[in-house]
Amino acid sequence: MARLLVLVWLAAAPFFAAAQSGHSAGWPTRPLRLIVPYAAGGPVDISARLLAAKLQEDLGQPVVPDNRPGAGGNIGVDLVAKSAPDGYALVMSAIATLAINPSLYPGLPYDPLRDLRHVALLVQVPNVLIVTNDLPAKNVQELIVLAKQRPGKLDFGSGSTGSTGHLAGEMFKQMTGTYMVHIPYKGSAPALADMMAGRVHLMFDNLASALPSIRTGKVRALATTTLRRSSFLPEAPTLDESGLKGFDMTTWWGVSAPEKTPQPVVERLSAAILKAMDAPDFKERLRGMGSDAPAIRTPEQFTAFVSNELRVYSALVKRSGAKAD
Amino acid sequence: MEGIFSNLAIGFVEVFKLQAVTMGGFTLQHVPFNIIMCLIGCLLGTLIGVLPGIGPVATIAMLLPVTFNLSPIAALIMLAGIYYGAQYGGSTTAILVNIPGESSSVVTCLDGYQMARQGRAGPALATAAIGSFFAGCVSTLVVAMFAPPLAEVALKFGPAEYFSLMVLGLVAAVVLAHGSLIKAIAMVILGLLLGLVGTDVNSGVLRFAFGISELADGIGFVTVAMGMFGICEIIANLEQKEHREVFTSSVGRMMPSKEDWKRMVAPVLRGTVLGSALGILPGGGALLASFGAYTLEKKVSKYAHEFGKGAIEGVAAPESANNAGAQTSFIPLLTLGIPSNAVMALMIGAMMIQGIAPGPQVMTERPQLFWGMICSMWVGNLMLVILNLPLIGMWIKLLTVPYRYLYPSILLFMAIGVFSISNQPFDCFLMACFGLLGYICVKLGCEPAPLILGFILGPLMEENLRRAMLLSRGDPWVFISPSKPISMGFLIAATALLVIIALPALRKKREEVFVEE
Amino acid sequence: MKIKVKSQQDWWAGLMFIAFGVFFIVVALGTPEFFDKLVGSRLIPGYQMGSSVRMGPAYFPVVLGGILAALGLLVVLDSLVEEGEPVATFHFRPLIWIGLSSLAFAYLLKPLGLVLASIILVFISAYGGHEFKWKEVGVMSVVLAVFSVLVFVKGLALPFPVCPDFIEVCPIR
Repeated sequence: MARLLVLVWLAAAPFFAAAQSGHSAGWPTRPLRLIVPYAAGGPVDISARLLAAKLQEDLGQPVVPDNRPGAGGNIGVDLVAKSAPDGYALVMSAIATLAINPSLYPGLPYDPLRDLRHVALLVQVPNVLIVTNDLPAKNVQELIVLAKQRPGKLDFGSGSTGSTGHLAGEMFKQMTGTYMVHIPYKGSAPALADMMAGRVHLMFDNLASALPSIRTGKVRALATTTLRRSSFLPEAPTLDESGLKGFDMTTWWGVSAPEKTPQPVVERLSAAILKAMDAPDFKERLRGMGSDAPAIRTPEQFTAFVSNELRVYSALVKRSGAKAD
Repeated sequence: MEGIFSNLAIGFVEVFKLQAVTMGGFTLQHVPFNIIMCLIGCLLGTLIGVLPGIGPVATIAMLLPVTFNLSPIAALIMLAGIYYGAQYGGSTTAILVNIPGESSSVVTCLDGYQMARQGRAGPALATAAIGSFFAGCVSTLVVAMFAPPLAEVALKFGPAEYFSLMVLGLVAAVVLAHGSLIKAIAMVILGLLLGLVGTDVNSGVLRFAFGISELADGIGFVTVAMGMFGICEIIANLEQKEHREVFTSSVGRMMPSKEDWKRMVAPVLRGTVLGSALGILPGGGALLASFGAYTLEKKVSKYAHEFGKGAIEGVAAPESANNAGAQTSFIPLLTLGIPSNAVMALMIGAMMIQGIAPGPQVMTERPQLFWGMICSMWVGNLMLVILNLPLIGMWIKLLTVPYRYLYPSILLFMAIGVFSISNQPFDCFLMACFGLLGYICVKLGCEPAPLILGFILGPLMEENLRRAMLLSRGDPWVFISPSKPISMGFLIAATALLVIIALPALRKKREEVFVEE
Repeated sequence: MKIKVKSQQDWWAGLMFIAFGVFFIVVALGTPEFFDKLVGSRLIPGYQMGSSVRMGPAYFPVVLGGILAALGLLVVLDSLVEEGEPVATFHFRPLIWIGLSSLAFAYLLKPLGLVLASIILVFISAYGGHEFKWKEVGVMSVVLAVFSVLVFVKGLALPFPVCPDFIEVCPIR
């Protein structure tokens, strides 16, 4: 009987040893959870899955994407903000959840700077100002003139209230002193469809999703929203060049962790992510989404970037009066 | 015309191509890889279609990483197979246990389940499979021949047209009920209201959520369907005082009788046409197709009195329609790069992973991909009908299992399916609530089917109504303006249908009044 | 005066519709000002109605709620005039046990894992049925639990915990 017990104990011992959760020494010792606060199949989800596969190779532990959609991404981000800061819970944080939602949703349950550590910026995609083919405006100046001639007659579409497309439009209106009507859609695809049909006049869409339509002549691109011209559409001027000085908006997302995650874990994670991003096949896939490799590499740079974006968008949202409940 | 044949030739060559496949160190030569992927997709699709609660969206999402390592055509063929395989599987549960596997199978529940209870599950399942196959073949041909012009037609549908179409659809939903007309309309409206729970597209406001963050994206269709159809049905069956088996033990034949075949032909044809037409419309096209077909049949058939009690037309028409719709819903994706529903959005994701930008140029720049996909749809339909017909024998045997073993299994699979929506217990709680609501409604003589259709169409209707009003700057006449003939046409049809429905009921009332005097 | 209800089903159905209609209207519009003053605080904040030009989030719900309540009233009136069915008796037993089993499954899945939660669901739901034989139910529950793990966790890779929380490392993942 005693021998049996000893045998059982010996057999079980490895299980108990493995169950010790590693405290940064030897991190990671068990699978990581990468929360994706959006429905599966979208661009954030796809890049997360690509990243997870690469991180798995480097860290030696499975990285499991977990979709937790809802409330514009807030549910997923809040989940991780409140998780144990042991480096096993990560979240795909984006411009919406870090910079826009804090001023859009009153009573947001997390603070993007105080509750989260920002590890790496993964993707930065410019937006592009596109117009329907019937619109008699061949460039940005003509558009502004047209908008001033017909205040309230032009419609601009967006993927949802408070999306980058919407706010880009608001920024445009403020900087040019024009009044256009905002038409929200459920996602940018239906908005693009209505644009092709000519029912909506213009839109600030994500470059990756608009590019095929631009290339096949279904819509016309007037300008891009970053300071530098995009390598995907080099013939399009930037809004900055076209008279809206300082206009610089991108759609971006990256990886964040709970605030108190230990520094060595953050650095290890950052190094692993950068290694993945530098891999040629990963780069290629991200380019397929319209993203050039971001210039921001370190967690500190990312945090500074987030802080700046938060400042800019808080002001923009307040001035435009957009609100979600 | 010759262009079509050469294109189809390209497609079939692609589908049947023999390739070298390397797996785990072994390399096999001359493997018809694409066909195998098609088979895997169809099998998987059928399986998840049969399992209540788990749908193609979740499955395709989970398989996206797997597609990284596949060639684009193989990946898309497999994913497409999952999608229409799920349509076949969804009809199976609708017929066997009154649980709609997909939103478009809701209508199949009405007559299919009744047929099963009468021992005619075999013919019902066979009809669904055969009708789906015929519709799949025809609509694939439609996609092959008319994809670009149909896409242009789809573009003509703006918010006003969608709204009018949905009004027509809702009026048609009322026809589904065979009881009191007023109560059916009320159930539709209740469904519309319940569909509004969640974040409002146009203003971003969170409605009717009472602070519950899980409701921020609304109540899911699966939750409502499982609750009102699945749980409600189980409770209703259990409360029979006498221990009576739910399904008659005389299982009956497996195949449709000659009479059945004769009655099937016209509904299948009509369903196919309607489904092919409505499937191209992004957003709800396939669903409208299935219950539009049912309504049409009910109005046109000389067996109309049997509808709701096990009329074979009530299975043949919607099943053909929803499969036709499933095929043609690829059109906006393949020609314009616009997704018609959540599954298509995932297909876009799959294409983007492969580095293919979805859009109008896919047809010209990658003809093998485009035509290969279309041909694989035909092959997939063939595989599915070959797969499903023999399975009917197995399903019928399953029905002879005593109910006390069946219902815990069904309940367990439903609970797992609903839980897996967002891995939170809240959805199961909601399912139980809807089960209670469904139970109460049935006791009070109100039918759940109109409610669930209102539930799906409600948010779409509101979104399109408000957008149409925004675009027209508040002009309510935009829906019937001569510049929008399509919208006007639908609304006229809706009014006509309403009159046709209401007339017999009114006449009956007048007769009663006269009799009393 | 005694009201004779000719159709019990319609009577209660109509009341249900009126209740739902009013509920949606009240939540959408919010409590009226005088009520708030009485109670001291804004009990139910409503949503904006907007105009018919720019419909606010409350517009559609209020209109629909109104129609629903009106229809409910019609049904109630109808119940006083037309003969109809009485409400069939409510059988609480299957209702409670089936509902309980799904709730138990949902809330016990994370702490107890799929295997135990499935077994519990089968037992509770079987209890709500006509027959309950311990051995039979026991075998069925284990078979179903194993089947579910194989199909859903292994086969479809759903992220369900298989073992309970108190077992540190699960042999099946």
